Amino acid sequence: MSTLKHKGKGPQAMTANELQDGFSVWLDPSLNWTRIFADALRTEDEDLMEKMQDKADADEQNNIVVGTYFIDIEPDTGLPVRYREKFRVKGPSYDTADLLESQ
Amino acid sequence: MYRYDEFDAQLVAERTKQFRGQVERRLAGRLSEAEFRPLRLMNGLYLQLHAYMLRVAIPYGTLNSEQMRMLAHLAEKYDRGYGHITTRQNIQYNWPKLPDVPDMLDDLASVQMHAIQTSGNCIRNVTCDPYAGATAEEIEDPRPLAELLRQWSTLHPEFSFLPRKFKIAVTAAEKDRALIKAHDIGIQVVKNEAGEVGYKIIVGGGLGRTPIIGQTLREFLPKDELLPYLTAALRVYNRYGRRDNKYKARIKILVQETGIEAFTNQVEDEYEIIDVSDIAVSEAELERISSYFASPDFEDLKDDPSELTSAIADNRAFSLWAKNNVAAHKASGYSIVNISLKPLDLAPGDITAEQMRVVADLADKYSFGELRTTHQQNLVLPHVKQADLPALFAQLQAAKLASDNINLITDIICCPGMDFCALATARSIPISQAIAERFADPERQRTIGEMQIKISGCINACGHHHVGHIGILGLEKAGVEFYQVKLGGDSSEHAEIGKVTGPGFSESELIDGIENMVDLYLKQREEGERFLDTYRRIGIEPFKEVLYA
Repeated sequence: MSTLKHKGKGPQAMTANELQDGFSVWLDPSLNWTRIFADALRTEDEDLMEKMQDKADADEQNNIVVGTYFIDIEPDTGLPVRYREKFRVKGPSYDTADLLESQ
Repeated sequence: MYRYDEFDAQLVAERTKQFRGQVERRLAGRLSEAEFRPLRLMNGLYLQLHAYMLRVAIPYGTLNSEQMRMLAHLAEKYDRGYGHITTRQNIQYNWPKLPDVPDMLDDLASVQMHAIQTSGNCIRNVTCDPYAGATAEEIEDPRPLAELLRQWSTLHPEFSFLPRKFKIAVTAAEKDRALIKAHDIGIQVVKNEAGEVGYKIIVGGGLGRTPIIGQTLREFLPKDELLPYLTAALRVYNRYGRRDNKYKARIKILVQETGIEAFTNQVEDEYEIIDVSDIAVSEAELERISSYFASPDFEDLKDDPSELTSAIADNRAFSLWAKNNVAAHKASGYSIVNISLKPLDLAPGDITAEQMRVVADLADKYSFGELRTTHQQNLVLPHVKQADLPALFAQLQAAKLASDNINLITDIICCPGMDFCALATARSIPISQAIAERFADPERQRTIGEMQIKISGCINACGHHHVGHIGILGLEKAGVEFYQVKLGGDSSEHAEIGKVTGPGFSESELIDGIENMVDLYLKQREEGERFLDTYRRIGIEPFKEVLYA
């Protein structure tokens, strides 16, 4: 019986937030954390998912990330299924900081 | 002005040192996230959608110029150059990093500020009429009362783990600028028939997923009975408030389920057995607190000095700003100045570090160094000489802080929504900006008159949409944002919850629908009517017709 925590269907990606900076991150194919979702590992391979879970657990234990969980991925677009997760990928659609940086 | 006494200074210093140790242990792995989370939340630190967020308390929305400069320093050194004024008169930073937060708290402590009780199931930062101490409408300055409540509730051992968070708002004016009927407890300073000053206690109000207007718990409470009586009310809530269901845990649900009469009896019964002398504060202590809030040394001036009247005659922009953003002061020759944080290009309530410093300088130059934040997400300079208004306006213009839209259709309350908040279901900032853009014409705004649009990005209602003349709730279904509309809400002393119009809209449909409703109001309104008045007179149906046209 699978011990995987993910409950989703179809392709999955593993996400978390960095402990120090708080930024959203995803596991990449090398099982390192990336802030760039385009580089995220998206897979339906159960064995790979088990490795992703192990890596996430270890890095949570090692205080690199917090709040690890699998997210569902749309097979056709490669983007997260849930709207909230899409937003974590895109970042704020408006941020006063961006306005300040552009000035 | 509010200031720390020796106990506050020690308490905050110890708390900051304690949190520094907790952060160090978390980073070193000696605290798990499960252990650390409640500790960080007790110090105002959330983990939001994209990053950490630090919420800093601004006690009853009052701060001085030195504190405002420190808030600017925090924005620049530890964040991304700006802060966000919240609907509870606090300020939030959207991008702090965990290792920096102890330093931020140390910096805050150096100007007598902190982030304690800005989260958690405790008595939160007390909010207050932003015109307190400046308006002639009040019976007395309510800030000593707010400060007494702050001292009483700070780390209160009995009330630090309530069934749910607990919010108190106070005012001393009949005109309610503190939304007291939408708080767990609202306190209004009142006079009884004998002319004695005391408190009217409202209980069980709140917005969120179950919006309820508060009911009167006591019509008149003698001043010296306040803390014992509140203790009784909190004890009843602590005992009977539902801890089995987070969504039914606020006192408003308890009051509703118990009934106001039975709830009042429970509080009075509890009050009977309280040792008042153990809790009530002495007259001397009250005087000590009140002395912190002595009025500044106002000069003996006359209203409408020539500097003001000639600027009104010569400068149309100033004249419009003065008409809309400036309110009457209790001292002749002085005014209360509202600084709008609702320009077209920023999110409602956002203020840059540079603007914070400008405002701090202006407070020093023109307002005895005092500032206020408002639950409408604006700022107030409470004591400005009328003769200084033209010069002040010019400097606000230079800092892009001279929007003359206070209480108009573009003075929108708006939560951070899905752009930042982990709880949100839809974005709210772009909706607010789209409405502001659609109604950007200042003449049109003035023609429409007083209008309160309030937007929340989820049912938790931080954007107060339930009490907006037009309230907007952002939701999401199958990956698509849509917006539900409420009409007829009122956040004033005549507080009322708005009515849902029906199915929701896409963003573009929503903006068109709002414009249709505004146009209908302009056609239908009678002399002197605001949007809300016309709505009340003709009812919801005509508005629904044009909204869904």
